[in-house]
Amino acid sequence: MSEKKYETPLLDELEKGPWPSFIREIKQEAERPMVRDLLGVLERSYEEHIGHWKHGGLVGVMGYGGGVIGRYSDLPEEFPDVSEFHTFRVNQPAGWFYTSGALRDLCDIWDKHGSGLTNMHGSTGDIVFLGGKTTSIEPVFADLTEKGWDLGGSGSDMRTPSCCAGPARCEWANYDTLNACHEITQAYQDELHRPAFPYKFKLKFAGCPNDCVASVARADMSIIGTWKDEIQIDQEQVRAYAARGMDIEREIVELCPCDCISWDGQAMEIADGECVKCMHCINHMPKALRPGKERGAAILIGAKAPIVGGALLSSVFVPFLEMTPPYSDLRELIEAIWDFWGEHGKNRERVGEFIQRVGLGKFLEQIGLDPVPEMIAHPRSNPYIFFDDEIVAGAEA
Amino acid sequence: MSEIAVAQVAEAMYDLVKSTHGKKNLKPMDLTKAMIEQFGEGCDKQICKQAIRELIDSGRCIYSYVGGSYITLPPTATA
Amino acid sequence: MAVAGRKTDIGPPHYENFLPPVIKRNYGKWAYHEIPEPGVLVHVSESGEKLFTVRAGTPRILSIKTIRTFADLADKYADGYLRFTSRNNVEFLLSDEGKVFPLKTELGTLGYPVGGTGNAISAIVHTQGWVHCHSAASDASGVVKSLMDALYPRFTSMDLPAKLRVAFACCLNMCGAVHCSDIAVLGVHTRPPRIDHSELPKICEVPTLISSCPTGAIRPTTVDGKPSVEVEDGQCMYCGNCYTVCPAMKINNPKTDGISIWVGGKVSNARHEPMFSKLAIPFLPNNPPRWTEVVDAVVNIVDVYAKHARKHERMGEWIERIGWPRFFKLTGIPFTKYHIDDFTHAGETFRRSVHLKS
Repeated sequence: MSEKKYETPLLDELEKGPWPSFIREIKQEAERPMVRDLLGVLERSYEEHIGHWKHGGLVGVMGYGGGVIGRYSDLPEEFPDVSEFHTFRVNQPAGWFYTSGALRDLCDIWDKHGSGLTNMHGSTGDIVFLGGKTTSIEPVFADLTEKGWDLGGSGSDMRTPSCCAGPARCEWANYDTLNACHEITQAYQDELHRPAFPYKFKLKFAGCPNDCVASVARADMSIIGTWKDEIQIDQEQVRAYAARGMDIEREIVELCPCDCISWDGQAMEIADGECVKCMHCINHMPKALRPGKERGAAILIGAKAPIVGGALLSSVFVPFLEMTPPYSDLRELIEAIWDFWGEHGKNRERVGEFIQRVGLGKFLEQIGLDPVPEMIAHPRSNPYIFFDDEIVAGAEA
Repeated sequence: MSEIAVAQVAEAMYDLVKSTHGKKNLKPMDLTKAMIEQFGEGCDKQICKQAIRELIDSGRCIYSYVGGSYITLPPTATA
Repeated sequence: MAVAGRKTDIGPPHYENFLPPVIKRNYGKWAYHEIPEPGVLVHVSESGEKLFTVRAGTPRILSIKTIRTFADLADKYADGYLRFTSRNNVEFLLSDEGKVFPLKTELGTLGYPVGGTGNAISAIVHTQGWVHCHSAASDASGVVKSLMDALYPRFTSMDLPAKLRVAFACCLNMCGAVHCSDIAVLGVHTRPPRIDHSELPKICEVPTLISSCPTGAIRPTTVDGKPSVEVEDGQCMYCGNCYTVCPAMKINNPKTDGISIWVGGKVSNARHEPMFSKLAIPFLPNNPPRWTEVVDAVVNIVDVYAKHARKHERMGEWIERIGWPRFFKLTGIPFTKYHIDDFTHAGETFRRSVHLKS
């Protein structure tokens, strides 16, 4: 056990100022030798302008390949209590809703076994327990499952799915994001815990095109709520917005990207056939306008950050899918993708990169989807077309 | 052709992991493809998945992470 | 060993266990919401019932002491119900309007700012940095703390033209997926990896290492009779992917690692389609503990945007309307060769018209 306490003049600077301080958070747990060493090594990084962590390795709970990320100090002699400082990803409840009791259960577990430091939440959405020793891994897992919690994903597996607040606290949820997220997570526990893919696969459930979980940028499969019929208009409320001073012509009509709204001072009309469901008018007149009644989701595919082959946004895969339990169509789609990409994807190749390599056309053929113009921004402009044998055979006949 | 037993596939997988240890990292799909090639008809993805599960649950193999997930031998088996 | 009775694959607890009664009664029946003041949302159900949300910023790294404090606050004001947002804010879910003000007051006393709603800068999504990451080109939490201290009034008010999303990632891996943010602050390495030839053959597999390089800059070689690799420096763009696959490819460099700033991305479909962020500033020095150069640069971009953008215009929409030449002029940011893409499909980013403002 380390007794020494480090001077941290650089980190202390970050306790000043109005925004809540992460250094204060870390110091709150500094009675633990592990956290004292964390402060010591972090101050060193601030002095030297370089991190002192090594990653990877063989840590995990028995039977799982995901959920624990190995982390080791590269200065173990100087900072022995962070020589092992692993991360646990605990699968968050859908929508990040908690009771005080549930949070206290999690705190008690981490109080007993780890650093007492967390992220609420990590980038993918998990509850992150930051800093535990190898010997703590099984005990943490046993206590978590005892209280009804399980680990999330890491490595080349289905990563922990996440979703927006959805119908629990939003009038714009076009499907039940919490239910879909929970059911899909439960259906694919094996794929979540036992990495069998070429690389990670993220799913994010957003209830409307505002996409509060950034699914279009961050998920290999982005399930974004939308609707097919007319925006519901309450004309009285539209007039009330005008009466309260909203310049409807300038703020709503002129900013509509498809020029499909008109307003004569008395009534608002929307040419719904031209509407692309961008949400602008609904966002700014929530009391007057609501999404239509025929609701579901657009399924987009392929987003990722730059590593390896460059950043991608998801693109349309299925323009509209009904989203009702047990989500059979969605699951069929997910499993078809996993099957094809799983077998033919290269190591560390995300599905978006895979599609770019094999071609979206061929990918659709393998998945069993027909190409539709909604999938593209515009048809190809380059004439380097690879024709199949069939089309040539047809012409020859 | 009769169905191949999961245990038989698991054994062959274990041999492959052992023989490539330290030379080549193998992912579950690498093992699966190798087994389907070795056993031919009667061996499929599902059997291979069960075989991997058997190797992992018994502790004979573990998952490793080096920028991606692989299946390898536990540290004690290679010491 | 797999022990009998060991629980696995139970998945997360069901979300219904954590929903307050007012939500259970009105699940899927919310009619509209309003933001009566910064940091407070009121959701009104078709039945007329109301749910009050009080949102407060957190530093993302939370001690269990603080989480227990949040649990106590939830018990005191919100019948024990709370949630977190995708941007690491904490939200208390109240059914009693009378408790909104006392909760806000207590959060203020404890140092957790109430805000982040509407046309504001919400908390900065960020990564682990030097606190916990192997490939970080910078710390994350320290830069974010310094930025939020400076941007604090933009969190607690709602007077920007539109919402403004700031994100931070400490390397190109972008665990924070910053690439579609109004302002993205991104740690960058600027030198090829230094290869530890004695360690490499022991801990790395050469074919996997070679295939990890997006530009094909890594080639096999032999050093002192042992297999290793060499890097074609001119082809390396310092992504650090090789380091993630092989720890002997040392990418971190205290002298040359730094921070870049990107602008104009968005994920929402409102008005304009989702967009990537584009490069504004290629390199600023890593200057802990307060990263003054980075803070000044971001504050400048925010101030110029706040002054010039029209109502409802996100950063990227504003820049698209005024054009990039004017963005660089208004912000005073120097335009350099580094702003011009030279990777795959770079040509698509060149101007192919004479639509030029004078």
